Amino acid sequence: MRFLPDNLEIEVGEAETILEVASRAGITLRGACGGDGTCGRCLVVLREGAVRDRGGDIVAEPGAVVRACHSFPVGDPVIEVPETSRLREHQVLAEEEEAGILQAGAETTTGPADPLLRRVRVSLAPPEPGETPDDWGRLQAELARVTGMAVRADVDVLRELPAALREKNWAVTVDLGLDEAGSGAGIVMVQAGHARVPVYGVAVDLGTTTVVVELVDLEKGRTVGALGTYNRQAAYGDDVISRIIYAGERSGGRRQLQEAVVDTVNTLIDDLRRRHRIDREAIRLAVCAGNPTMSHLFLGVDPAFIRLEPYAPAANFWPPCRAGELGLVIHPRAPVHVLPGVASYLGGDVTGGVTASGCGAGGEIVLYVDVGTNGEMVLGDGDWLVGCSCSAGPAFEGSGISCGMRATDGAIEWLGVTPGGFEVICRTIGGERPVGICGSGLIAALAGLVRAGVVDRAGRFAAELETPRLRRTESETEFVLAWARETGHGKDVVLTGADIQNLLRAKAAVYAGIRSMLAAVGLEQDQIVRILIAGGFGRFLPLRDAVAIGMLPDVPLERYAYVGNASLRGARAALLSGRRLAGIGETARKITYLELGDETRFMDEFMSAMFIPHTDLDLFPSVQGEWAQ
Amino acid sequence: MSVEIVRERWKGKVYEMMLGREPHTVRVGGDTSLPFMHFEGKTARPVTALEVQDVEPSDWPEVLRAPFAEVLGDPVAWACRCVEVGADLVALRLAGAHPESGDAGAEAVAATARAVAGAVSVPLIVLGCGVEEKDARILPVVAEALEGQNCLLGQATMDNYKAVVAGCLAYGHSVVATSPLDINLAKQLNILITEMNLPPERIAMDPSIGPLGYGIEYAYSIIERKRLGALTGDRMLAQPVICLVGEESWKIKEAQAEDVPEWGDQTRRAVLWEAMTAVTLALAGGSIFVFRHPESLTRFNRKIDALMGQQVY
Repeated sequence: MRFLPDNLEIEVGEAETILEVASRAGITLRGACGGDGTCGRCLVVLREGAVRDRGGDIVAEPGAVVRACHSFPVGDPVIEVPETSRLREHQVLAEEEEAGILQAGAETTTGPADPLLRRVRVSLAPPEPGETPDDWGRLQAELARVTGMAVRADVDVLRELPAALREKNWAVTVDLGLDEAGSGAGIVMVQAGHARVPVYGVAVDLGTTTVVVELVDLEKGRTVGALGTYNRQAAYGDDVISRIIYAGERSGGRRQLQEAVVDTVNTLIDDLRRRHRIDREAIRLAVCAGNPTMSHLFLGVDPAFIRLEPYAPAANFWPPCRAGELGLVIHPRAPVHVLPGVASYLGGDVTGGVTASGCGAGGEIVLYVDVGTNGEMVLGDGDWLVGCSCSAGPAFEGSGISCGMRATDGAIEWLGVTPGGFEVICRTIGGERPVGICGSGLIAALAGLVRAGVVDRAGRFAAELETPRLRRTESETEFVLAWARETGHGKDVVLTGADIQNLLRAKAAVYAGIRSMLAAVGLEQDQIVRILIAGGFGRFLPLRDAVAIGMLPDVPLERYAYVGNASLRGARAALLSGRRLAGIGETARKITYLELGDETRFMDEFMSAMFIPHTDLDLFPSVQGEWAQ
Repeated sequence: MSVEIVRERWKGKVYEMMLGREPHTVRVGGDTSLPFMHFEGKTARPVTALEVQDVEPSDWPEVLRAPFAEVLGDPVAWACRCVEVGADLVALRLAGAHPESGDAGAEAVAATARAVAGAVSVPLIVLGCGVEEKDARILPVVAEALEGQNCLLGQATMDNYKAVVAGCLAYGHSVVATSPLDINLAKQLNILITEMNLPPERIAMDPSIGPLGYGIEYAYSIIERKRLGALTGDRMLAQPVICLVGEESWKIKEAQAEDVPEWGDQTRRAVLWEAMTAVTLALAGGSIFVFRHPESLTRFNRKIDALMGQQVY
């Protein structure tokens, strides 16, 4: 069959939906419902030929609009995929900005002290006539002498060994993948000669909505580059629950999801390699941080029981595996570590982020909040840590919002609105013409629109306003943030009533999670000494606005720090240090998990927070004056 | 041996609302305890209103029309009859303004409201036609026509509160704030209304009750939570609650069905249904009860007399 306007021809498999075929063709369709056929986001247009729906009815009129997830090609139809049904910016986006409030410290300047991948350069004495040594025995003995560790090698390493040893007169460079405890190591690669070319590793943040890969020079401990993009699994559902359902209920669903995320990572690695002219085989280590569902799906493990009471993941601590087994396009023997998690909805992205941000290390009560598609929180003073997770939706990652986008060039990251909504002043990342709005911009927008009287505190547009920016379309009301003539793509950038309700739900979930966790340990929000906010909002987080809309607790702003993509930093810390990887494991063991779904408290808190800032105004003393007219 | 009565100490109270003109004012709310827990604090006696419509109702069953047979087409005479049969307040429903039943204009309904206010001494509740946009247009005009009468006007919802509250502010009335059986939405609306500078004691909360057998449990629980909120010091839940029991009870088939002898006499059945709904919600913490049938009101008052009496342990 053929897809337009891409003009891509692709073979059709047995009983494959158009959604699945499109996905194989590299066209990622939107699919909030996970292929249930209920969300109507994956609509495509039949141009030629015919399709069959799940009920067996044939549709053959040119111009017919069908759901890709519920339609099967009949013969070789030609299907047009409209822009509105595509997951936007599926292509690799611009270079990630370093959020950089908490740098990973010394590791970025000097070489790592206890690397997870260790490069050893040895020169063996060539065997003398009369000796009866074997190549591997000689190398193993020398490596044991140099490293003090028992070193293992697989047969496929040994296949390459005799030639490598003899090519440069018994001088070789050996890359060792260390076990977590540092007691042993396995050979990843033996190269002839004393290699001067760098060896690389990748740190991967496996987000539900976005995936980021950072390429690191392992000997220098230096980041070479980082790229992010949308997770292609989005075609199978917006959130982890719909993806778990998809993985379980479709035959081959788990494999599709695994391939989708690995493809996403590979696309990013590929682009990084091309930009920096690096061979595939030069990347010899990967550390991935993801929530439990993403970790399961990435490794191809059945996530079904995460969703079912009593919510048991297959594993919290994952043994390392090899890149080749997963299909990652780096050195096939490169060890791949997936950071350990705590429970079904608290994973390695959080344990890594908490550890890398130094949460709890100072003995004071710290709250760590990672706002992604799920809002995950950890609270404690280092002696004790509790954690929980709640569903916030992907709004702050720029998904599920009509003009939302990731925090990359052209995203509105801050804005102000004049009273009555006549003028909007935008600031974009990269200073470019706006093409959408990212998480930080959305927070500023909500606060700004309420201050300007355009939106009331229940999140409704003030219909009586005379500003031309507020307009009614067929289905709803929207507010124009930037006119088509000012934008980078010639279309208006707007915020709709549904977007505002999405934002309200997202901010309410975050705050309700924080309140529920505080209640569970009997603390008041005043007792938190530091609050670390992680997430992909943008380069900075408009904290005052985030407090003003009631997303974050009303405590003095100096207690806050925005730590950006801490999950990625956790993965990078582990990439460079076996000790850090072990430290993340300790954090994971220390966290006590609270199941918010077990009580009604979270729902009550959530409903109370569906207002700006909150229906209990006493919780927001510093913003009370601002909102009261 | 004497028994120590355990008393709950509450820090908050229900706002006290004053309606009408001297010397015929009616006080609503001001409770300092859970309903009828006289040993813990003050229970304000719930007040009653009878409903009058500006046009002759078309969907009232015969047994409900009977007590007002000769006055149903005359809101002024009807209102006077309500006072005679013992209503503390008259609730004028401006049904004739509904776009599908007359679509009377603001000036016309305001004239009716002024005439009713002039004919009775008891305070007036004036409810619009229930269509939010229409009420936003007529209620400010009604508010102006009733200037100085200190009425209770409604219903203000999340979608039309600005216009309705503006009328109340300008002409000195209180407002009925209606929300759909949800404590948070009720609270949000109260916050929005008070932020327009209407004093919090000039709001009555209408929780959109359901009658007996039709979701009364939800209404009970919401009203109870509001009272608990008021007593624990939440000022945005401390407004007295108004229950439109007549309107809701007379909608249902048990009140409307005429030829079902196995259900017993229709009048008795419907009246008991209305009174029972009201008593139940009074126990939850309702403060204003708007009835349709005068006998329901009488039965309700009889029960409240008993509940307000001396408690013996």
